[in-house]
Amino acid sequence: MMSMAARSGALAPYLHSTKHAVKSLVKPGAKDLAPAAENVEYSLVPAHQSPGGIRLAHTDIKIPDFTDYRRPEVTDPNKSSQDSSDARRSFSYLFTGATTVVGVYAAKTVVTQFLSSMSATADVLALSQIEIKLSEIPEGKNITFKWRGKPLFVRHRTEKEIATEEGVNMSELRDPQHDKDRVINPKWIIVLGVCTHLGCVPIANAGDFGGYYCPCHGSHYDASGRIRKGPAPLNLEVPYYVFPDEDTLLVG
Amino acid sequence: MAASVCRVGSTVGRALAKTRSPILLSLRRGQASVSYAQSLVGAPETRLTTLDNGLKVASEETGHATCTVGLWISAGSRYESEKNNGTGFFLEHMAFKGTKKYPQTALEQQVESMGAHLSAYTSREHTAYYMKTLAKDLPKAVELLSEVVQSCSLNEAEIEQQRGVVLRELEEVEGNLQEVCLDLLHATAFQGTALGQSVLGPSRNARTLTRQDLVDYINSHYKAPRMVLSAAGGVNHEELVGLAKSHFSGVSFEYEGDAVPVLSPCRFTGSEIRMRDDALPLAHIAVAVEGASAASPDIVPLMVANSIIGSYDLTYGGGKHLSSRLARLAVEENLCHSFQAFHSSYSDTGLLGIYFVCDKHQIEDMMHWSQNAWMNLCTTVTESDVARGKNALKASLVGQLNGTTPLCDDIGRHILNYGRRIPLAEWDARIDAVTPRMVRDICSKYIYDKCPAVAAVGPCEQLPDYNRMRSAMYWLRF
Repeated sequence: MMSMAARSGALAPYLHSTKHAVKSLVKPGAKDLAPAAENVEYSLVPAHQSPGGIRLAHTDIKIPDFTDYRRPEVTDPNKSSQDSSDARRSFSYLFTGATTVVGVYAAKTVVTQFLSSMSATADVLALSQIEIKLSEIPEGKNITFKWRGKPLFVRHRTEKEIATEEGVNMSELRDPQHDKDRVINPKWIIVLGVCTHLGCVPIANAGDFGGYYCPCHGSHYDASGRIRKGPAPLNLEVPYYVFPDEDTLLVG
Repeated sequence: MAASVCRVGSTVGRALAKTRSPILLSLRRGQASVSYAQSLVGAPETRLTTLDNGLKVASEETGHATCTVGLWISAGSRYESEKNNGTGFFLEHMAFKGTKKYPQTALEQQVESMGAHLSAYTSREHTAYYMKTLAKDLPKAVELLSEVVQSCSLNEAEIEQQRGVVLRELEEVEGNLQEVCLDLLHATAFQGTALGQSVLGPSRNARTLTRQDLVDYINSHYKAPRMVLSAAGGVNHEELVGLAKSHFSGVSFEYEGDAVPVLSPCRFTGSEIRMRDDALPLAHIAVAVEGASAASPDIVPLMVANSIIGSYDLTYGGGKHLSSRLARLAVEENLCHSFQAFHSSYSDTGLLGIYFVCDKHQIEDMMHWSQNAWMNLCTTVTESDVARGKNALKASLVGQLNGTTPLCDDIGRHILNYGRRIPLAEWDARIDAVTPRMVRDICSKYIYDKCPAVAAVGPCEQLPDYNRMRSAMYWLRF
């Protein structure tokens, strides 16, 4: 008798599509199990009752029709789904990929917005730059401004001062820097008024070199803000600045 | 030497001498074993003849004293519609209830007096009626088979009686959870198509099928070009052809209204169905992808791939030394009670899958490792795995043909699927041609990143969500 191929154990990986419902006439005169009565209502007596409910024949289970949810390529049950499978998969992955990219970008935007809210506020940032009207500063004069909590020296240099500073020999300087490297427009020298020795504020138009003199420990700076005499090691710091137009100076 | 063999049995000796089987020549005194290579070459050729009406007659003469002869028909639940699903199955019940020439008792008496076994089965694409009998009773057997198939009496009273039997069988099959699970797998995988229908049919049809439905079914599907009269054992092909001519020449080959039933392709849908019942002790789960058709060239590598995964149940004694990796894991991690890799192939599609039975707390792990086994096949299967799989497959193919009935069934199904019998030597050559690269490529083609169909019966709460199972069909590392 042919037994279900499934029971062949290790030796039968090759299962063929046979469903076995075997009827055989082995014993003579075998009586049928059902009574030979007419007009009997045959109801499927459920043999498997469980606390959850009654299970009817599994062949009565009807898989619902999902045509409304299917993609157009697979609505026809008489067409193999293999042909369109690559296209459908590519579409799904493309859509998912694109959405992921957009989603990541959106997430990044939200996160940076929240994080950047913790950075400097506008009023603080406003203090980071200073705009100065240059026409108000006469020649030879040094004006001090408060910028980022430090004194800022803006000096309108005379021709004589410019010539002197440009003529200075590098070998004389402790911190060699040519005047050209410290200014954008030689007429204006803009430096931070913080002595590079220990941080005091130098006095303008003082000292032996026609520049600045720091009274704390006696550092002499020239009209380019370079250290000439005294304990300070470096020249006065030149901040970042631009001249947006003839008359204006923007520092920071 | 020949004389000593002939002493074994006059019939056997005569038959062997007649066919001049190489098996005879290689027998040594006292030894009856044959090597694998010899059994491949020594297998007698299957002879095939086609009658005028298209009916094929095939036989293999093995020299046994018994034989199995039967009729294999290309008819099954796939040819049925929703309204008449279950007709083939019902007809199978009616087949042995009497024919025009032999009413039931007479038929039974004929069969019993020969000491024969008369059986039948119906599957989704094939129906078979066959008889196991002594070789000398072949003519009677063929006559009875022709009666059963061509002139079944289909008497009304019997039909009513058989309704109850069919309904009770439907009820009984609910206890066979493997059947239920695999039926549900087909129902969901091939939903909306003819392959999704079960062979048994719904209970409503069992109650309402009429004699006319059965007659219509016979008229539409029992046609000569779709039939094979197959025999194996101590049969003579010429004799068989003669018998076929005399009994089966009347089988029609024309369809009414030229309505030739053509099988349309069946769409596979990646989907799942869960029949949850926490009162059952074990969960039965099947997961499958669309596989290859019976005649596809990919069949052999897929069979090798399934051999690599293999099967297992609690009765296996190998323990952690079993060769299949999944089986080793099943033992070491106590993953399941049994599993098997299967491949059901039909004429234009198939189902390639793994079926397992496990405790309700092991489902997730077992599913994970089963899909892992698939991923291994697609990506890293090694030379030694493939060699082992090939050997196991060859052994099982040869070992299955251990008797006239499996042999006859093999012949019948082959003729229906392929139009010819594929000899063992050809299977052997095709199996030898499989390389690991081929297994990887072909498995990737069918398994990798494909939507599976899943069916679960029993306490299946732990079965992962479908999207998780779908995600396990590919590896990010690749």
